Amino acid sequence: MSRPVSKFAASVFSNSGRAALLGSVLGAGLFAGVTSASAVELTVWSGYPEMAPFYQHVADSMKAAHPDLSVKVEAIPLREHEKRVALGVTSGGAADVIELAVSTATRYLDNELMAQAPDDVTKFVNDPANYNEFFRNAASYNGKVYALPLFRGQSALFYNTDMFKAAGLTTPPKTMDDFSTYAAKLVQRDASGNPTVSGWSMRLSGGGQGIAEKFWINMFQFGGNLLEQAPDGKWKATYASEAGHKALKQYLQNVAQKNVTVEMPADAEAFERGQTAMFIRESWVIGDIATKAPNLKYATATLPMGSIVAPVNLYITGTGDKAKAAWEFAMAANTPENQLWLLDNVGWLPNRSGLDFSKIVAAKPNVAAFVEYPSTYKFFSLPTIGPADEVLTRVAAKLTDAFANPALANDDAAIDKVLADAQAETNSILKREGILAE
Amino acid sequence: MLKRKRWLFAIFAILPTLAIYLWVRIIPIEEVLRLSLHKWDLLSKNKPFIGFANFEELFHDQLFITSLINTTIIAFGVLVITIPLALFLAALIHHRTRSRFAGFYETSIFIPHVVSLVPAAMAWKWIFDARLGPLNAFLGIFGVHPQSWLFDPVLSIICVIVLCSWQALGYAVLIYLVGFKNLPVSLFEAAKLDGASGPQSFWFLSIPLLKPITLYVSVVTLVSGFNVYAQAFVLASDAQGAPGRQVRVLVLDMLENSFRNYRIGYASSEAVVLLVIVLVLTLIQFTLLRERGRA
Repeated sequence: MSRPVSKFAASVFSNSGRAALLGSVLGAGLFAGVTSASAVELTVWSGYPEMAPFYQHVADSMKAAHPDLSVKVEAIPLREHEKRVALGVTSGGAADVIELAVSTATRYLDNELMAQAPDDVTKFVNDPANYNEFFRNAASYNGKVYALPLFRGQSALFYNTDMFKAAGLTTPPKTMDDFSTYAAKLVQRDASGNPTVSGWSMRLSGGGQGIAEKFWINMFQFGGNLLEQAPDGKWKATYASEAGHKALKQYLQNVAQKNVTVEMPADAEAFERGQTAMFIRESWVIGDIATKAPNLKYATATLPMGSIVAPVNLYITGTGDKAKAAWEFAMAANTPENQLWLLDNVGWLPNRSGLDFSKIVAAKPNVAAFVEYPSTYKFFSLPTIGPADEVLTRVAAKLTDAFANPALANDDAAIDKVLADAQAETNSILKREGILAE
Repeated sequence: MLKRKRWLFAIFAILPTLAIYLWVRIIPIEEVLRLSLHKWDLLSKNKPFIGFANFEELFHDQLFITSLINTTIIAFGVLVITIPLALFLAALIHHRTRSRFAGFYETSIFIPHVVSLVPAAMAWKWIFDARLGPLNAFLGIFGVHPQSWLFDPVLSIICVIVLCSWQALGYAVLIYLVGFKNLPVSLFEAAKLDGASGPQSFWFLSIPLLKPITLYVSVVTLVSGFNVYAQAFVLASDAQGAPGRQVRVLVLDMLENSFRNYRIGYASSEAVVLLVIVLVLTLIQFTLLRERGRA
């Protein structure tokens, strides 16, 4: 028994009807394709939550020229970011634009997992007027450009001017010995002698490699380095040295004298709450203080010898139209206006050359310690080797154990042993990877 | 013929489940075993076979040894606290089954098991806080000096054990309660007629009869104890402010080696060691409790 069919249905199921329907569907599909091709959505992955407004600002600045471009910014804490990059890039599910420290990116470049920059970007990066040699090299791999430089981590001293005044201190510490003397004067204690405000917040605990990085910064002021590159391009650990000894001893003595304790609140949060008198950190803290503790009276100063420079670049994954838009986005992040906006609003130091910081420094004098340093100021950066993170994480574990052992403070031989053991482990990692210098 | 058809039907009915099980359980384990014998950095296309080199390195790796010791202490610490306490609490709740508060007792003990780990761990982090935590304030009443719970190498492990036990207790009590409710009443009545007291009935009847439950609960508790990670991570979390001491545990070490150090083969060898430990301990538990159960 046949079922009744309506006239409309009959026309649809006739030959001509089927053709019309097919045509309509194909047409709709093609139209949708055109629409989606012109509307590009980029995803940006960042390891610094405070960078999210910057990327959004860059996206907004592109609106006029690219009305169909939408940018989704996913900024999460650095360690989680590194994990998602490792998983995302290898599984093909990574964002279009990835912000990555040069020291971390090397592995991905070794395995050709990041896109090489197109000609116009290469020309832009290689122009000495845009970037100095350090940042040009940081954006390149085997002589080819793979990234656009963005910002850098660079350290300086932050100190609470009210606390300095109360302790009778009129200038920031100029030598590493001054740091300990100042810490002893600045620490505030309760009636039973327990510190309530640390004199100098030092990184003593927590997970990850930050402890080793901070140790390296302090050791650098004594003239030492954690790793040094030999003329043959290979590396060796050099921190079981006089500089390493002095740096570790300074940590231990400040802990033993309770100028700082592992239990005390630390870092930028402690500084913003008035729980520490001074600490060494990157420029982003200026932006953080402006947001969280706008009434805090503080100043910044350069460090005795020099600072770490940790360049962070923008890398692009994939190819085609989306990658083209991604490179355009990375270029837009490097316009002078956006680079200055970054420093002014977020606090990270832009890497582009020729920027005029005068207006920002005039409005925010604390920026000066990061952009106006002595001509003798030295810089070091994390080595761009595969096991850099592993080396630092393992050094951090050794240091954490040492900081927890107050008996070490006045035992020079024990301090040397800690450093020698840690150095042997570092060198064994370098050897395993075939990059240990003789 | 009919038998064969039924047999085939059974096979086809179970095949999708077996396939899923193979895909999500067997293949990953096989892959971990295979990777443990290779050197692979997650990014490279090359995975050179290196035999047992990863295992040889493991047993000279101080961080791995520390992680293994910490994890073992935590797993057994949680087991030692959870099993007797859960048995005792379940007995008390079962004893008060007819009380109008019975539901409240059960719920209040089970809640920690269902509460999301991160906020719970953050609450415990506050409790253990050396300066502002209520635990030190409470101990101060008795003249005990404030302790650095989250920073001292020993105390920080105890903190993880307390947090894990607090979480595991609810589930263990629930399972024991089911066990108590299924115990034959006649045996207890007979014991009562023979003059056995309540504690004697508990000791000589309940505990032996609950051995299968104890076996199950202890295996589950021990295995989850060896897989501890989030508790240790959250108690030491906070990139700034007042981070705690990172108690190194096996899963944390594996994650670090996998996604920070890019040493997937090495992390796989750690996973194999963990797998072997858990399997051996489970086997021992089965043997001990089953043998004694039969006796």
